[in-house]
Amino acid sequence: MPGIDDFTRPVEYLSPLDRSLGEIVRSWAEKEVLPYRREYDEDWEEHRLIEPAFDRLMGELGLQRVLFPEEVGGWGLGHSDYLGTGSYRMFEEIARADSAMAVAFGVVFWPLIMICNEPHVNMRLCEEFAPMFIETNKAVFTANAMTEPQGGADIENMDLLGGSTIETCAILEGDEWVINGHKLWPTNSAGVADLFGVVCTTSPGSTDPEEFAFIFVPADTEGVTQGKPYQKAGMAADKNSDIWFENVRVPSWYRACGPGDDFKYFKEIISLGSMGTIAFVSGAMMNIYEILREFCEEKTFRGRPLKENDDVAGVLADFVRDLEVIRVIGYQAARMMDRPDLYGDRWSEEMVAKTRAFKYFAADKAVENVGLVMNLMGAHGSDRVRDVEKHWRDLKIVQLWMGGKQLCQMEVARWFFDCETL
Amino acid sequence: MKYQEIFPVPCEWVQDIDESMVETVARWGEQEVVSGRLEHTEDYDKLLLPAIHKLFCDIGLQSMLWPEESGGGGLETAEVAMTVAVALEQVGTADTSIGFLFANTFAVQSTFAVEPHRNEELLAELAPVFCGDDVAVGSLVLPGYGGSNAAAREEFYGLPYQVSAERHGEGWALSGEAVRPQCSGKNAAVFAVAFDAGDGGPAVALLGEGAKRLSSGEPIKKTGLAASLNADLDLKGVEVGGGRVVLTGEDRFREMLSFYYMSCAATILGSLLAAYEILKEWGNTRVIKGKGQVFKENPLDAALMGRAASRIATSRVLTYTLARMLSRPDIYGPAGSQGMFNTATATFKQVAGAAMLSMNNAMEMMASAGYATEWNLERYWRDVKTIEGTVIPETAAWAMLARHYFGCRTL
Ligand SMILES: Cc1cc2nc3c(=O)[nH]c(=O)nc-3n(C[C@H](O)[C@H](O)[C@H](O)COP(=O)(O)OP(=O)(O)OC[C@H]3O[C@@H](n4cnc5c(N)ncnc54)[C@H](O)[C@@H]3O)c2cc1C
Repeated sequence: MPGIDDFTRPVEYLSPLDRSLGEIVRSWAEKEVLPYRREYDEDWEEHRLIEPAFDRLMGELGLQRVLFPEEVGGWGLGHSDYLGTGSYRMFEEIARADSAMAVAFGVVFWPLIMICNEPHVNMRLCEEFAPMFIETNKAVFTANAMTEPQGGADIENMDLLGGSTIETCAILEGDEWVINGHKLWPTNSAGVADLFGVVCTTSPGSTDPEEFAFIFVPADTEGVTQGKPYQKAGMAADKNSDIWFENVRVPSWYRACGPGDDFKYFKEIISLGSMGTIAFVSGAMMNIYEILREFCEEKTFRGRPLKENDDVAGVLADFVRDLEVIRVIGYQAARMMDRPDLYGDRWSEEMVAKTRAFKYFAADKAVENVGLVMNLMGAHGSDRVRDVEKHWRDLKIVQLWMGGKQLCQMEVARWFFDCETL
Repeated sequence: MKYQEIFPVPCEWVQDIDESMVETVARWGEQEVVSGRLEHTEDYDKLLLPAIHKLFCDIGLQSMLWPEESGGGGLETAEVAMTVAVALEQVGTADTSIGFLFANTFAVQSTFAVEPHRNEELLAELAPVFCGDDVAVGSLVLPGYGGSNAAAREEFYGLPYQVSAERHGEGWALSGEAVRPQCSGKNAAVFAVAFDAGDGGPAVALLGEGAKRLSSGEPIKKTGLAASLNADLDLKGVEVGGGRVVLTGEDRFREMLSFYYMSCAATILGSLLAAYEILKEWGNTRVIKGKGQVFKENPLDAALMGRAASRIATSRVLTYTLARMLSRPDIYGPAGSQGMFNTATATFKQVAGAAMLSMNNAMEMMASAGYATEWNLERYWRDVKTIEGTVIPETAAWAMLARHYFGCRTL
């Protein structure tokens, strides 16, 4: 009988770690998450249930170390040629259990991309930050602080606006950056993360790429204040809050890649973020497939199991059709991240546009399909016990974040059609 | 009327009583719900229950079909459908989940309190429940998917009844396990339970909250509809006298559903109008593309806003038209005719689908504000989605419509 492992992926792309990463995460999810996830919505503020599960995955099983180079105790994923496919597999397996956990986990990689990935490994910062992730059995998080009150989309709209809307300002004083600003929404804020990657400008209003700065700030640095977690439609395992930086001082070498390069490589955060988003979508949809299999066997309509009704079967077929396609494009995006030698730089406009196209296709299809599945399930669709409604609420955000759908559309059109004013 | 100038409705159908209902309920929404929402979000005890009490008891929605002598509103004829529609639109704007409770309550009451089916005996018997000072929610128990817990083999449009019935003297003994009502399984005052009455086709019996051998489980957790403390029911041969069987036959059953679907459409319409206000407020001030553009002036975003507006405008005309049709059986025929029932089903599906599309788009546009509880949009989105699935599984709705419009024989 087919199961979740029978959805297609281009097998020749897979990383040598694929099987073991998949097994580690799946057995963790079965034991530590699936039995408890229905309680997560009530745990959104405290993370009493959620935190121990993260400790096991990231601290004890060690997955928070994977990106760092081997020299500093990591697994070397950042300079391997399976950065994309390896990450995809982990994200997808976690999202099968809980896409918010996949997001919170995936975001740990996000700022670290700037210093752990070839060809822009910053060994000094890797050496400085790796121990906090490696010398512990507890989960340690990072956050990528990009969005600001005046808007997140514009900050990501780098080719049009060139960072000119960033208000968080970093001024070099001697060998220290002094940072002032206000960020909203970073995943793993509200006291979760120990380390922030902060998107700053060294000259407010400037479109000069040299003025774009990506600076690491330990969460306990004087002058950093975080708010309470926001209440939201879903994504309980992902805490988000305000972060204020008031005359925050960090060493000058905490800037990730340096003038010009921060701007350039930050786009890698966008393309890898888009790829990760597709993994969150396919993982959640795989779990919905499992739930649907059971539901449509158990429930009857016109005296037959649901799945034996042609009209229901039509809905089910559309769902798995789209999941097949999403998974294939997801792995294709991952492969493009693995092999810049074949597909081009991860930070190129082309890669940003193509992964954004894949991302918004996957997110739109997921939202559409899961909505239809809820309608198919009738009153059971909105019942927490069936878990589909949680996926429905959680997945909506993957359509909205990272600049929102319209920014994706504009970046895709801009690259494919040479639009100049979008 | 509020919004009349923006999304017009056929105003010649709206009577004075409807106009004053709109004003009263709109005021209730502002004072009892909207003002407390920031502090209490969806808290049942602190926000919703007091608001329900005010609306159902003090304003008197739950007793509007009872004679004035009993403390009711004195409405008797099917014209009440329009009053209910305008009221529910306002309730839905303030809180969709409270609207859903009243949609159920009205559908239950329509079976015995609206001409030509007014049952004076039952009205008198239930006056202390619905005209008293306690909230009295009516809740429907409708056919749903079968499975291990489905009690009866008989089906209504392919959906088995959740409850089985055996003759018991003049009445019936009803049984069913893990029976899922539409709302308020934990605390409804009256359940209107559908069952198969053999040759008579579908029947509906009223069970009071305290009925013997009727028990409810713990409230279920669900996507939305915080005002509905829903829970599964167990009926272990619950005896119900013949006088409590409020309807038998397909026509009567369809009539009840027509009123229900119209009421749900009106409730959803209210949420759609609330979502419109939220998006409008946000889109008027948000600036994108640097300092370059007020959100609503962006042609790509404006195109989506235009589509949302178009769906609201048409949904409103549709819902009011349905309410008019149900309120004037002398012109349009009985609410339980196959044609009227299908129009009610189609309207409900159309309005719910349009609302979900528009709210999904609105959330996309508002991005983080759309997802944050603070902006309220996500609550309407969850509530409407819950109603969309709960009222009728989509597959069954499409099959019903195909059967009617295309004469399918095996569906
Ligand atoms: C659960 C969650 C997790 C998040 N995690 C993070 C995180 O880890 N780090 C972080 O920094 N942020 C995070 N965010 C914020 C998220 O990335 C932003 O919400 C997103 O970038 C959009 O920004 P905004 O909400 O400020 O909307 P705005 O920037 O105001 O944009 C609103 C809307 O404007 C429209 N728009 C924008 N640009 C254009 C254009 N060029 N053309 C046409 N229309 C346009 C789109 O419809 C868009 O949706 C998170 C948000 C949520 C809800």
